[in-house]
Amino acid sequence: MSATLTIARRELSSYFRLPVGWFTIALFLFLCGCVFGLVVLAPGRVASLRAFFGGAGWILLPVVPAISMRLFSEEMRSGTIEPLITSPAREFSIVLGKFFGAAAMLALMLLPTLLYAGVLARVSARPPELGPLIAGYLSLLLPGIFYLSIGTLCSALTNNQTLAFLATLFILLALMLSAALGPAVAPTMLQPALAWLSFDSRIQDFAKGVIDFRHIVFFLAASVLPILLAGTALRARRLG
Amino acid sequence: MTQIAPPQFDRGKQRNPPAPSPTPAHPSVLRRNFRAAVVFDAAETPPAELLLISSLSRLPLQPSENAAFMLDVRDIHKWYGPFHAVRGVSFAAKRGEVVGLLGPNGAGKTTSIRMITGVFPPSRGTISIDGLSIRTDPEASRRHIGYLPESAPLYPEMSVMGYLSYRAKLFGVASADRSTAIERALSLTSLEEVRRKRISALSKGFRQRVGLAAAALHRPGLLVLDEPANGLDPTQIRQMRETIRALAKDSCVLLSSHILSEVELTCDRVVVIAAGRVLADGTPAELRERHAPESAILIEVAESEGTAATIAVRSTPGVADVESGKVENGWRSLRARLRTTKESSVAEQLAAVARSLHDVGVIPRILAPDAPGLERVFHSLLESPDAIDSERAA
Repeated sequence: MSATLTIARRELSSYFRLPVGWFTIALFLFLCGCVFGLVVLAPGRVASLRAFFGGAGWILLPVVPAISMRLFSEEMRSGTIEPLITSPAREFSIVLGKFFGAAAMLALMLLPTLLYAGVLARVSARPPELGPLIAGYLSLLLPGIFYLSIGTLCSALTNNQTLAFLATLFILLALMLSAALGPAVAPTMLQPALAWLSFDSRIQDFAKGVIDFRHIVFFLAASVLPILLAGTALRARRLG
Repeated sequence: MTQIAPPQFDRGKQRNPPAPSPTPAHPSVLRRNFRAAVVFDAAETPPAELLLISSLSRLPLQPSENAAFMLDVRDIHKWYGPFHAVRGVSFAAKRGEVVGLLGPNGAGKTTSIRMITGVFPPSRGTISIDGLSIRTDPEASRRHIGYLPESAPLYPEMSVMGYLSYRAKLFGVASADRSTAIERALSLTSLEEVRRKRISALSKGFRQRVGLAAAALHRPGLLVLDEPANGLDPTQIRQMRETIRALAKDSCVLLSSHILSEVELTCDRVVVIAAGRVLADGTPAELRERHAPESAILIEVAESEGTAATIAVRSTPGVADVESGKVENGWRSLRARLRTTKESSVAEQLAAVARSLHDVGVIPRILAPDAPGLERVFHSLLESPDAIDSERAA
């Protein structure tokens, strides 16, 4: 556990030491600011951040792969993976450390958007309610963590950051597309399973302000498989 | 057929004479060797008489100060698909010893080093670090290793202190000891003045030293350095050599290098690898004795005394032949090839040649041994039939 935390801390701090980390945060906040300013603060609208959470969810699609793409690819490209895997840390400690570091970065990136809630409370007659606000942030954080787990896996499979980015984005879009088109295309008997696997409907529930414990478990559990696969990929690399 | 390897260090298929046997008295050494004996042909079912030994081998192993060898590499092989990159490399090294791994490009040095450090396991064979098998106790054995890969990969965005602190935590150095360990590593590698600098702002030499400090930080029993002098200027190479010698006081150092003179100056022992096989293993002096093509004495005399000197030197016992060289500014150079390659004998021959010249009244301007350097030994080994066979097989 100590190795995991050490790696997570190093990973998180490296985002703030590199221009790419600041650029990713700036881009995310700029796009979120646009959504907030143009959609949420439009005159005559209900004082709710629901539209912002919907928009920010889409912005996360390219931003999360940008966070995860360098996790392993950069280590493999620069050769720093060798001192790392020859340390006493186990493969899964390394993968978890990197994943937690990236997840902390995602959380810190979302943190400044709390300002929007403050702005909304100030300019509207009725301040936004806390429950939907928490649910809204869960609708960003939980899928973000799931996206990160896929990004971690893609990054563990290649030493090319661009390829890791594109592969993550492609997988996420494919998952979204299958969730959207699945009910129309898939056989009837498969539809309940597809509906259960769809994460889009779960995000919608959060956006409506519903905090369903099953949805939380679903996203966390869904994140485990890519992490396990990334650990296996690292182990396979060690086994030559 | 399962074979029982003897419970002492066995150099397998090497043609070189075996290294000094360890003292087999310590039980951990015996246990370790019995384990290796059973592991040898692990794919087959062991016969009944081996079961007792096999059960002994399952006893928990603890690293021991008394372990005969800090690094024990036995018959390791590595296949990359059909390519057999490493073909039965065996050697061992003790604490306090600096062992050089020498070989041409593609000889299997880096592959061997990567197997030793646990980057990937050998396809066959066993490696143990301070008595701990890299295969069965990977995490524990890695704690005993400090590794500086070729070109010292580091995180350029981190500061020197930040990086060393990160590595100390990763290797489980207790927080109470961390700052002492970092200060020691900084002082050992003369990095005090750049401790707060970003790694990206450092020169190649400093970066190499940061890599070395990180490798030595947790006081590993085995320090593995892959081309540590790569890209360094002569002053930095000298500093690196001094640092390595200082580190070897309480560690075993395994280093690979292309710089033969550097290996000769730094290493107590040299293992020469070519085409994935060990061609020779010994101290530089032993290698010179065993594998040097010849030893010679260089003489420079006045041109007018050239013939007399040649006759006198040729008649000296132990001199095989005398080659007459060029004349420069009235001085003729001669090269006396000797029948021996032993360093002690070369010194005796030198005295004998001096006496012969004195007897005929010739006073040489230069009389010096032309001792074969490691470079000549290296080339002689690579041109040997063994090396050529290995190359063909590869």
